[in-house]
Amino acid sequence: MSPGHVLDLYVKRDSPLHRLDDRAKLVGLAGFLVGALAAPARPPWAALALAAALLGAAAVGRLPPRALVRRLVPLALVIGGPFALSRLGGAATRAAGEVFAVRSFLVAGAFGVLMAVARPADLLEVGGRLPLVGGFAALSEFILRGTQLLAGEVVRTNRAWALRAPRPGLRLRVGALTAASISLLGRAAARSERVGAAMALRGFDGRLPPVPPGPLPLSHLAAGLAFGFATLLLGVLGRWL
Amino acid sequence: MVAKARTRDPLALARELSLAGLLGALGLLLPVGFHALGWGGKIFLPMHLPVLVAGFVVGPGAAASVGLIVPLLSSLLTGMPPMSPPLALLMSAELTVKAAVASVLYRRLRLNFWVALAGALIADWAVLALAAVAAGRFFAIHAPPVRYVAAALALSWPGTALQIIGAPLGVAAIERRVPRLVAARRRGSGEEG
Repeated sequence: MSPGHVLDLYVKRDSPLHRLDDRAKLVGLAGFLVGALAAPARPPWAALALAAALLGAAAVGRLPPRALVRRLVPLALVIGGPFALSRLGGAATRAAGEVFAVRSFLVAGAFGVLMAVARPADLLEVGGRLPLVGGFAALSEFILRGTQLLAGEVVRTNRAWALRAPRPGLRLRVGALTAASISLLGRAAARSERVGAAMALRGFDGRLPPVPPGPLPLSHLAAGLAFGFATLLLGVLGRWL
Repeated sequence: MVAKARTRDPLALARELSLAGLLGALGLLLPVGFHALGWGGKIFLPMHLPVLVAGFVVGPGAAASVGLIVPLLSSLLTGMPPMSPPLALLMSAELTVKAAVASVLYRRLRLNFWVALAGALIADWAVLALAAVAAGRFFAIHAPPVRYVAAALALSWPGTALQIIGAPLGVAAIERRVPRLVAARRRGSGEEG
């Protein structure tokens, strides 16, 4: 497994940011994203201020710097490659490369911080209550549950590989992975029959049971709005000034 | 899917949701398996295979939903594909159309499997070009769409080959385990789930 590529990015900590209501976190993220997409690469003060705001949020969330760096390392190639290539072009290409790199790092950093302080299932629960994306959030929750179910099978398959072929050649690995993938598809389909029947027996009527929303404390909403509005303003001012 | 809840059999809906959900889960897990072996996702496109298979075994709405959700969910859960640069959004657009086209051609119009597969792959490439143009406006990527698609295809030909070989095997494996899917397709009743 490559660094930064795991099935949960949550960092367990007791911090004000972890305790903040997920709806407030999403409000803050929305404002930050608009600000990041509006911010120019030059002059760089707006982008630097947004990066500082992000680092501030990470500090409030008591996120270990090493974990954040480890997650941004795989992105360095995806972002750094096109950026390095853009340096070979003319002035317009170089400027476009700078905008691309700045926006990409800010947006990726914002999602990195969010997923380090919020559980995916909790975010999907919030999404499930929204009018347009509710159905997608319900299916996403189902996919998450399915992932937990099938992850066990993947782990067992990996163990079996390790025991039977500790140092497999490329041909064996390709063959085994193809066979395992096809077998997993078949087993997932067979399991879905049982899960579907169980859901119907329990009274499933086309939608997953709704979770009633809890009260959103005013202080949490104010914190989310303040962060979102401030960062949005930074990005927009950076573009205009 | 939710809108149809009142007009369709709850058992069929539950089956479709669970099958779509588990194929979506495989769409999250297979890339992790490929990364564990050190094989690049951009080359082997491991997320595409379960989503494409979903297009052949569930209805267009559910298939499109799986295609839309899986890359975004994977981005949130694993950090890959990244939200920025907007690879997750590009993949989401690609997989939505790919799965929906496969489902419409194979399950609704009851065309030959290979025709549906070819249609899904061509639709995928067309959307990739359009999405590259749209995303380029936000992220200042100034690559001509045709060149972008050509580069993507040149890089990911093993993944395309994997889909051409793996999709029929996967669909056959599923139809062997769930024979009612074959009967539902022959009836053209729309009761995929």
